Amino acid sequence: MNPSLKLLLGVLIALEISFTRSWMVNLGLAVIGLVIILTSRPKLSRFLLLLVIPLIPAVALAMAILLQSNAGTHFAIVLFTRIYAYVFIGSAVTMTTSISDLVMSLEQNAHVPSKFAYGFLGAFNLLPKIVSEVNIIRAAGNMRGQTLHVWSPKLYFKAVLASLNWSENLAEAMTSHGFVEDAPRSYFKRIHIRWWDWATLIGVLVILQFALFGLHLQ
Amino acid sequence: MPTIKVDHLSFSYPTESGETPLTLNDISASFPSHHFSLLTGASGSGKSTLMKIISGLYPQFGGRVIAGQITLDGNPVPDIPETNRGRLVAMMFQNPNQQFAMDTVEREVIFALENQHVAPSEMMSRVTQALRYVEIEPLRHRNLNSLSGGEKQKVALAVIIAMQTDTILLDEPFASVDPEARQLLLAKLSQLQRKQGKTIIISDHDLEDYGQFVDELFVLDATGEHLEQLNHETAQNRLQHFSREQNNTIHFELPTTAEKTLYTGRDLSLQAGERTLINQPELGFFQHHITLLTGPNGSGKSTLLSAMSKLHDYGGSLTFNHKEVAKIRPRQLYRQVAMVFQDADQQFLNVTVEEEIALSLKNSQQHEYFKSRLSRLLTSLHLDQLQDHVVYTLSGGQKKKLQILEMLMMATPVLLFDEPFTGLDLASMQQIMAVMKQVATDCQLTLIIISHQLFGLNQLIDYHLTLANKKLEYVEGLA
Repeated sequence: MNPSLKLLLGVLIALEISFTRSWMVNLGLAVIGLVIILTSRPKLSRFLLLLVIPLIPAVALAMAILLQSNAGTHFAIVLFTRIYAYVFIGSAVTMTTSISDLVMSLEQNAHVPSKFAYGFLGAFNLLPKIVSEVNIIRAAGNMRGQTLHVWSPKLYFKAVLASLNWSENLAEAMTSHGFVEDAPRSYFKRIHIRWWDWATLIGVLVILQFALFGLHLQ
Repeated sequence: MPTIKVDHLSFSYPTESGETPLTLNDISASFPSHHFSLLTGASGSGKSTLMKIISGLYPQFGGRVIAGQITLDGNPVPDIPETNRGRLVAMMFQNPNQQFAMDTVEREVIFALENQHVAPSEMMSRVTQALRYVEIEPLRHRNLNSLSGGEKQKVALAVIIAMQTDTILLDEPFASVDPEARQLLLAKLSQLQRKQGKTIIISDHDLEDYGQFVDELFVLDATGEHLEQLNHETAQNRLQHFSREQNNTIHFELPTTAEKTLYTGRDLSLQAGERTLINQPELGFFQHHITLLTGPNGSGKSTLLSAMSKLHDYGGSLTFNHKEVAKIRPRQLYRQVAMVFQDADQQFLNVTVEEEIALSLKNSQQHEYFKSRLSRLLTSLHLDQLQDHVVYTLSGGQKKKLQILEMLMMATPVLLFDEPFTGLDLASMQQIMAVMKQVATDCQLTLIIISHQLFGLNQLIDYHLTLANKKLEYVEGLA
C-alpha cells in the first residue's frame, strides 16, 4: 500500500478508537495488527518487546480505572485493549514501510515541503548517532572528573548542542549538494498512488464503521 | 580571464554584544579559471570562511559581509540563483562527517542529481561513472556511517563529479585522510583540471605533495588582512622547500621485554559493523612512554583507542593493569585513562574558554603543578586573549589547542590522543608538542597518539606501533 495513505489510515483508525468504547473492535484491530507484524518477519527480541512493553501502561491504566474510578470493568478492558490496538496498528504501519519510501511518498504524494521530508530523513539517520553521542558525552564528563547523570542538565545541553550542530551541518551539506528549498526536483524513484490504495483506505474505514456501529446496536 | 574575483572583501561573525570583529579584512584576489589554486595560511586565518563565502554557504548559514563582494564570472555570488549554483561551484568540507544527508553512498549521489533536476533515466549511469572515476564502486551500497574518513572524502568528490560542477572548492580536505588516499584524490583532482577544464581551489596549511599539481599559490596571513598571490618563482620555491619530514634517517627503539606493560591484549579482535578491523594474538602498551600509532585510513586505529577507553566493544581479552577493561567501572577507568577525541567539540563541557580551563584545573590530578604554570601555558599557545570566547566559535586550530591543553591539565595517568594535530599549522603544532612532551615528563604520563601528521613527531615519541592488514607491530622507522 502507498506509504502516505498507509500512515493516514493508521492515524485515522487510532483517532476513531480513541472516541469509541468497543473492546471487541480494539481486540480485532490488535489481532489484525499482530498478523501484519508477523508477516513482516520481525526479530524475535523486537517482537517480544512489542508484546511486553505495552503491558506496563495497559495494566497500570486498567488497574487505575478498577481501583480508583467507578467506570467499571468494561471500561478497564476497553482501555487495556485500546493500548494494544494503538501499538500493534502503529507497528504494523512502521514495520512494513521503509523510512525512505515514506519520506519520498510524503514529498511526492502528500506534497509535504521537501525541506521537512529530508529534514525528517536526516534526523532519522541521526538517531543511532545520538545514542552513541550521549555515551561519549558521559565519558567525556567522567574523564574531566564530572559525573553526568541521566538527569543532569549538562548532558542535555551537550546533546542538544550536538544536535543543533548536526542540523546546521545537515543543512549546509544539503545546500552544497544542490538542494534548494521549493525548487523543482526530479525523482529517481516515483511513488504512485494507485486505485487500490484508495480502495483499501476507504474499504478498511467502511468496515471499521460497520463493526463499531454493529456492535453498538447489540 | 578570472572566474572568481574577491573584491575588497570584509567579513565578520558578529558577537552577541553586536560588535563585528573582522575575520577577513579588506582582502582582494583573483582565482583564474581552469587552474589549480592552493590557498594556504596559518590555522585560524580565515581560509574556511573564505571558501564558504565563495561557495555561497556564507552568509546564508552564518556571519555577515561587511564590505566588498565575491564575483563568479562577474556576477556577485549572492545574486546567482541558488538553483544554478550547484553547477557552478561545489564544496568539499574539512570534516568528512559533515557532508551527507542520506544514508547510503548511492542515495547521496542520487539526491544531488535529483536536486539538479537530472532525468531519472540518466541517473544510474552518472552515479556509476562518478564512483568509477574515484575508484570506489565497491562502496556503492555501503552505509555512509560505516566508511572511514578517507572513504567519505572520496564519496564527497564523487558527488561533486556527478554534479558536473565547474569549480570545485576543497577546504582542508585531507585533514583526516591517509597519504595513499590523499595521493589518489590529488591525482584525480589534477586530472579533472587538465582533462575537463575544471577550476580547483584547495585550502591547506600542509604544502607537501602539491608541487607538481599547483598552478597558483595564495597566502592568507594569520590576521585575515592580506590575501596575496605569490609569483611563480616564489611559489615554486615555497612548495619545494616545504617538507614535512625527512623520515628515512629516524630510528626508534623497540620496546624490550623488561618494560612494564599497562595495556595487554590477547587474541584481541575489533569489528566495525561486519568488518573485522584488528585480529591480534598479542599486544602491549608500555607505561611512562609515548607511543605513536599509525596506519591507513579506516584500518581501525580510532576503534582501538575507543576499545581501550571502553567506548567500543571488543572480542578476546584486553586488560588494563591486569584488569579486564570490559569489567572496570567507567568512573574508575576514566580516572586512569582519558581520551582526547578527534572531534574537539566532543571534549568540551562548558561554554567559555575560561570555564573549560577552570574545570580542568579544579579536577586536575596535578593541581599545584598546573596552577603555577597556567598563565604561561595559555600565552605560549595564544589562548590567553580568548578567555571569554565561546568554545564552539573558536577556529579549528584554536579548539584543538584548547582541547589538548585541558586534557593534559587533567594529568590522567594514561592519555589517548586521536589525531590531535588536525587543523594545526606548523608553528602551533610545534608549540603544542613541546607542551605535551614537558607535561608527560614532569607528570609521568603515558601517551598514546594516533597521527597522520608526522612532521617533528620524532622529538616527541618513544615507540612507533603500526597497524596494517589487521595486525599491530612495533617498528623502528617512521615512514
